[in-house]
Amino acid sequence: MLFLQEWILTLLIVLPLVGAVAVAIAGAGGRPLVPRSGENHDEPRGPRLGQMALAFSLATGVLTILAVALFFTATSETGQNLARAGGFALVQDLTWVADSETARRQIDFRYHLGVDGLSIWLVALTAFITPLSIWASFSGIRHRQREYYALMLLLEASVIGVFCARDLLLFYIFFEFTLIPLFFIIGIWGGPQKWAAAGKFFLYTFAGSMLTFAGVLYLAWQAARQGGVFTFDIDTLYRLQLTEREQFWLFLAFTAGFAIKVPLFPFHTWLPLAHTEAPTAGSVLLAGLLLKLGTYGFLRFNLPMLPAATQELAPLVAVLAIIGIIYGALVAWVQDDFKRLVAYSSVSHLGFCMLGMFALNQAGLTGSVLYMINHGLSTGALFLVIGMIYERYHTRQFDKLGGLARRMPWMAFFLVFFVLSSIALPGLNGFISEFLVLLGTFTSRNPLDGWPAGPLGAPYGVIAAVGIILSAVYMLAMVQRLLFGQLKEPEHTPDTSGGLRPDLTRREITILTPIALACLILGVYPKPVIDSIQPAAQQQVLAWVYAGDTDAAFAGAIAPRDAGAPARSAGPGAKEGGEDKDRLSRSTVGFSQSGFATCFSRWGEDQSPGFFPFSDFSRIPDSAVPEVTHR
Amino acid sequence: MLVAGVAVPLVSFLLLALFGARLGKPASGWVATAAIATSCVLATIVLYQWHFAGVRPEPHVFTWANLGTIPLKVGVNLDSLTVIMFFMVTFIATWIHVFSIGYMAGHSDEVDGESKYHRFFAYLGLFCFSMLGLVIASSLLFLFIFWELVGLCSYLLIGYYFDKKSASNAAMKAFITNRVGDFGFIIGLGMVVLFLGDLTLDGAAKALRVQYAENGTLFAHSFLGLSLATWMGMLLFCGAIGKSAQFPLHVWLPDAMEGPTPVSALIHAATMVAAGVYLVARIFVLLTPEAQTFIAIIGCITLALAALIAIVQTDIKRVLAYSTISQLGYMILGMGLGAWIGALFHLLTHAFFKALMFLGSGQVIEGCHHEQDMRKMGGLRHKMPVTCWTFFIGVLAIAGAGIPMTQIGLGGFFSKDEILAVGWHRAYGQGEVDAAHEMEHAAAAMPGPWAQAQGAGHGAVTASDTPAGHGHEAAAGEHGEGHKVTPAWPAHRPGHWLLFLVPVVIAYVTPFYMMRAWWLTFMGKPRDEHVYHHAHESKLMYVPLIVLAVGTLFSSYFLFRPMVAEAVSEIGLQQALVASYDGGHHAEAGLAIDHDTHKYLSMIVGGAFVVGFLVAIAIYWNGLGLAERLARTFQPVHTLLVRKFYFDELYGAAFVGGVLVIKRLLYAFDKYIVDGIVNLSAAVTERLSRFAGNVLDARGVDGAVNGVGKLALELGGVVRTPQDGRIRNYILFALCGAGVVLLVVVRAWAS
Repeated sequence: MLFLQEWILTLLIVLPLVGAVAVAIAGAGGRPLVPRSGENHDEPRGPRLGQMALAFSLATGVLTILAVALFFTATSETGQNLARAGGFALVQDLTWVADSETARRQIDFRYHLGVDGLSIWLVALTAFITPLSIWASFSGIRHRQREYYALMLLLEASVIGVFCARDLLLFYIFFEFTLIPLFFIIGIWGGPQKWAAAGKFFLYTFAGSMLTFAGVLYLAWQAARQGGVFTFDIDTLYRLQLTEREQFWLFLAFTAGFAIKVPLFPFHTWLPLAHTEAPTAGSVLLAGLLLKLGTYGFLRFNLPMLPAATQELAPLVAVLAIIGIIYGALVAWVQDDFKRLVAYSSVSHLGFCMLGMFALNQAGLTGSVLYMINHGLSTGALFLVIGMIYERYHTRQFDKLGGLARRMPWMAFFLVFFVLSSIALPGLNGFISEFLVLLGTFTSRNPLDGWPAGPLGAPYGVIAAVGIILSAVYMLAMVQRLLFGQLKEPEHTPDTSGGLRPDLTRREITILTPIALACLILGVYPKPVIDSIQPAAQQQVLAWVYAGDTDAAFAGAIAPRDAGAPARSAGPGAKEGGEDKDRLSRSTVGFSQSGFATCFSRWGEDQSPGFFPFSDFSRIPDSAVPEVTHR
Repeated sequence: MLVAGVAVPLVSFLLLALFGARLGKPASGWVATAAIATSCVLATIVLYQWHFAGVRPEPHVFTWANLGTIPLKVGVNLDSLTVIMFFMVTFIATWIHVFSIGYMAGHSDEVDGESKYHRFFAYLGLFCFSMLGLVIASSLLFLFIFWELVGLCSYLLIGYYFDKKSASNAAMKAFITNRVGDFGFIIGLGMVVLFLGDLTLDGAAKALRVQYAENGTLFAHSFLGLSLATWMGMLLFCGAIGKSAQFPLHVWLPDAMEGPTPVSALIHAATMVAAGVYLVARIFVLLTPEAQTFIAIIGCITLALAALIAIVQTDIKRVLAYSTISQLGYMILGMGLGAWIGALFHLLTHAFFKALMFLGSGQVIEGCHHEQDMRKMGGLRHKMPVTCWTFFIGVLAIAGAGIPMTQIGLGGFFSKDEILAVGWHRAYGQGEVDAAHEMEHAAAAMPGPWAQAQGAGHGAVTASDTPAGHGHEAAAGEHGEGHKVTPAWPAHRPGHWLLFLVPVVIAYVTPFYMMRAWWLTFMGKPRDEHVYHHAHESKLMYVPLIVLAVGTLFSSYFLFRPMVAEAVSEIGLQQALVASYDGGHHAEAGLAIDHDTHKYLSMIVGGAFVVGFLVAIAIYWNGLGLAERLARTFQPVHTLLVRKFYFDELYGAAFVGGVLVIKRLLYAFDKYIVDGIVNLSAAVTERLSRFAGNVLDARGVDGAVNGVGKLALELGGVVRTPQDGRIRNYILFALCGAGVVLLVVVRAWAS
C-alpha cells in the first residue's frame, strides 16, 4: 500500500508511455518504425491499434480511480486526512539531478510528484477524457493509426505529468512536452489548414513559454542565491523572498506562457484555428485539458509565488478576462462554422475561469478550479458531438445543415444536453462553477469573515454576468440552426461508411454517456468535489497569496477557530514581518505555508514545532538546505 | 411528504425518458398522469393536515455544498403559502395531464418513425418536478436553480414542434429573454450573499433587519440615488420580470403560444409565469419601499400594455396570452403596492380560470383542426357546449364578475378587488382622515385575527381557519397609535394615483376583450363553414374543463384566501416589516382593506364587467363588420396595437441588429487586428531572421533555440513536415515578437 501511495503517480505517467511505445511497436508490424516514402499509409490496419491504445488509457483510468481513492484516504503521519486538510498526498520525491550526495548540494533537481485537491481532479479529468477521445477516433482516424494512437497516449502521459509535478523544472518539461504530440496530431490528422494551424499553435505557445522558462530560471537562480542550492523544488521556490519589482517581472514572464495557453484575450488567436483544424480528439484534448495547463499554471505559480504582483495586477488580468468573456461570446455568435463557434466559446469560458481565480478568495478559486473541470467535460463533449456530425456530413458550415434533430435524435439529445451544461443550467455541472466564480468576484472586495480584501469587486461581477446571457444566445442559436427547422443536409450525406449510421452508433452513445453522467452528478451533488478543492485552494494558494498580509483578522479566518492562537504563535517570525520593507516577507504571518504544516496547525492536532522542521520557516537560513522531508 | 410529491414527477420523467419510446402512445401519458396525480393526492393530504388538522411537521435541512463559511442548504420551506401553491400546481397539472392525453393523441409527431409523444410527457414530468421544487425551496439559490429548470422545460416544450421555424424561434426567444431577467436575478443573489451572507430566505430576512437596524452597508450606501438595498430588491425582481413576462421583457410570452396548448395552459398561464409573482412574494421581506414602487410601476405598465394589445388580437391563444400578461401585471402591481395577500390570491384564482380557458381554447383548436383564428370561428356553442359554458365561467372569473356590495362573486372579483383596494388606499388613503378614523373603528369592531393583532400592536397575527367570508379584514398594522395614521407612503408622490387609476380603467378593458374572444368563438353565426363543420368535442378533454370550472367557481374564496392570509403571519411578514421599516406601514398596507375602500371601489369597478361585456357584445353581435369599421376609423391606434407597440421591431433593431453589427466588427477586429498583429510580427521577424541568417549565418545567435528546432526537425522528419526549414525562424521571431509586445505592454502599464 505504501509502495502504491508513493509510486502511483509515476505509474499514471508511465503507463500511457508504455502504451505509446507498445502501440508504436505493434503497429509497425515488423516494418521499420519510420515509414519510407512511397509506402501506403492508408492501408487499414483495423481497429486493433485503437483498441490497444484504448486498453492502455482505460487502464490508466482505472489506476486513476485507485489514485483518487488513495488520495482521499491518505493520512499524514499524525493520522490527519490530507484531502480534507488541503495538503499534498501520494508524494514521491527523488533526487533526479544533483551534484553530489554530500550534505551540501549546489544543484538539486528533483523528481517530485504529488497531488492535492486542486490537481487530483484535473488528473482524473485527463484520465477520463483521454480514453473517450481515443475511442471516438476509431471511425475518424483511418490512416497512420500507429502514430496517432501513440501520440495520444504520449499526450496523456505528459498532461498527467504536468498536473502531478512538484518540481518546477519537471513541470516545465511536461508542460512543453505536451506541445509536441499535439503539434503532430493537428498537423497530420487535421483539416485543410492543418499545418498553418499546427505551426501557429506550436510557435505561439512556445514563444510564450520561452519567456516563462526565463522566469523559471530566474527563480532557480534566486533559490541558489538565497538558499545556496540551485533548485526548482516548488516548496522551496514558494519561500523565496522577492522584491515587488522582481515579482512584477516574473509575473509577466509566467503570464506570457500561461496566458497564451489559457488563452487570455488578446492572446487567443491561435485557438480558433487550432481547434477548428484539429481532428475531433485533438480538439477535445486541446479544449478539455491543454487549456487547463495555462490556468493551472497561474494557479500554481503566479498566485502563490508572486503574491504582491498578483494582487497588484489582478485587476488587469480580470479586465482582460472580462473582455475575453464578452468578446469571445460575441465573436462566437457570428461564426458560420460551428466548430469555430465552440472554439470561441472556450475563450469566453476560460475568461470566467481566470476571473474567478483572480478574485483571490475561496469562492472564486474553488469556482475557477471547478470551472476547469466542467469546461473540460462540457466543451470536450461538445467537440465530440460536433466531430460526430462532421464525420457524417464533412462540413462544419451552418448554412449547409439544419433540422438534424429529425435525422439524429440521439445526437440532438446529447448536443442539447452539453449545450445546457455549457451555458450553466442549474442541475448540470456548469452552473455551480459559474455561480461560484461570479460570487467570488462579487465578494472579492468585501470579503466575509475577516478575509483580506481581494482585488476585484461587484462591478467586475456585474459586467462578467453579461456573459451568461450571451452564452445562452450563441449556444442556443447554434442548437437552433443545427437541430431545428426543416431537415437540410448536403447531397450524398450522411456518410455512413466505416460502420456509421445516420444517428449515433452504439459506440458513440457509449462514449458520450459517461460524460453526460459526470455532468449530471457534478451538477446535482458537487459537494464532494467542492469540499476537496476548497481546503487545497485555501492552503496551497490563498495562504500564500495573503501570507504577507499580517492582518490579524485574516490569520483568524485561515487558522482554525479553536486553534487560532497557537497557530499564530507558532512562528517566531511574526514580529519580524515589518522590518523588511522592500522584501516581501511572506512566511511571517506565523503559520507555516507548507501544506502539511498548515494542515496540522489548522486542525490543531499537532502544535509541536518540532515535528516539521519548517513550521517556523520565517526565512531560509543559508546553512539549512531545505531538504524536503514531507513524504 | 411534499418532497415525495416533488420526486414522483421526476421519477416519471426518468421512466419516460428511458423507456418512454417502448411504452408507446397512450401508456406513457397515463404513467405521467398517474405520477402527478400521486403528487396531487399527497398535496391534498398535506393540505388537509395543515389546514384542518393543524399539523406542523419539522422541516429537514441538508447541506448541498459548503462555500467557505456559507453553507448552501437544501430545505423545504413549509408554510401555508407553500402548501396551497403546491396543491394548486399539482391539482391543475393533474388535470392538464389528463387533457393532454387526449390533445396530444391527435397529433402527428413522428420523428423517423418514432413518436415524440412520450417525450412530451417526460418534459411535463420534468416541469412538474422543477415547479414543485421551486415552490418548496427554502433558499434563494435553490429557488434560482429550479427557476432555471422550469425555464428549460418551457424552452423544450415551446420548441416541441421543432420542425416549425416559428416554434424553435419562440423557444429560443423565451429562453434568452428569461436569461436577461436572470442576469439581474443572479446579480441580486450576489448582493444577497455579499451583504447578507445568507441565501436562505429566513436568514436573509433576518440579516436585512439587522442591517436596517444598524444602518448597515445596504442602507448607508446608495448608487444612482437609490440605496443598495433597493437595488438588491430591484435586481432580484428582474428575474420575475423575465419569468412573469413583465414589461419590458414581456415579448416572449405571446410567441410561446407556439407550444402545444396544454403547455400554454400549464406553464404559460397557471404555474411557471406565476413563479415570478411567487418569487416577489418570497422576497417581499427584502424589498424596500422604493423597490416596491419600482415593482408596482412595472406591473402597472404591463397590465395596461398587454390589455390594450389583447383587444385587437385575432388568434385565440394570443388573446389569452396577452390577458395572462395583463393579469400577471395585476399581481405584480399588487405586490408592489403591498397587497401581498391580494396578489397571491389573484395568482391562485387566476391559475384556475386561466388554465380553464386555455384548455378550452385547446379544445376549440383541436376540434377545429388547428384553426386558431377567431375570425374563422363563431357559433361553436352548438358543436361544443361544454367547452362553451366552461369557458364562459372563465370569462366571468377573469372579468371579476360578482354582485357588488355582496359577498357573491367569482374568484377574480375578490382578488382583483383586493389589489385595487390597496391601490386606492395607497393613492388616496393619506388625505382621507375620516376614512382613517373609520378604519380604526372598523379595526376595533372586527372580530378575528386582525383585531387581535391590532390589540397586540406589532404582535404576530395568530393563524386562523376562519373562512373569512367577509373579506374586509381591517387594519392589522393600524395599531392603536392614536388617531394619527402613519403615512403609508410618502404623501405627495406624483403618479401614485396612476397606479390606482390605470388598473381601474383596465378593469373595464379586461371584460371587453375576454367577452370579445368568447363571443367571436362561440356565439354569433359560423363564419367559416369548413371549420364549423368539422368542429367536435372530445370527452377525455372536457372532463378537466368541468373540474377546473367547478374549482374556479367554488374553491377560491374558501380555500385560497385564508391560506394566503395565514401565510402572512407564518412568514412573519408583518412582523418583519413592522420591525424593519418605519412605522409598520407596510404591514398595514398589506392587510388593511377597510369597508370604506370597498364601498368606493364597488361603485367604481363593481359593474365594470357588465359594461365591458355589453360593449363587446354590442360590437361583435353581428360578426366582424362593425369592428372592422371601427378599426378603419381608428387606423393609427389600431395599427399600433396590432403591431404590439412595436416592441419586437424595436428589440429586433436595437439588440439583435445592434449586437450583430458589434459582433461583426469584433470579429473583423479579431481577424485582422489581433491576429494580424501576430501574423505581422511573424512575417517581420521572419524577414529579419532571413536577413540575419543570410548576412550573419545566424548559427551563433540562435544556438540555444536551434537545439529545440533540431528536435522538432527530427521529429518532423518522421512525419515529413512541409515546413522544415522555417521552424527555427519562427521560434526566433516568436521570441523577439513576444518580447517586444511584452515590453510595450509593460511600459504602458507601468507608466
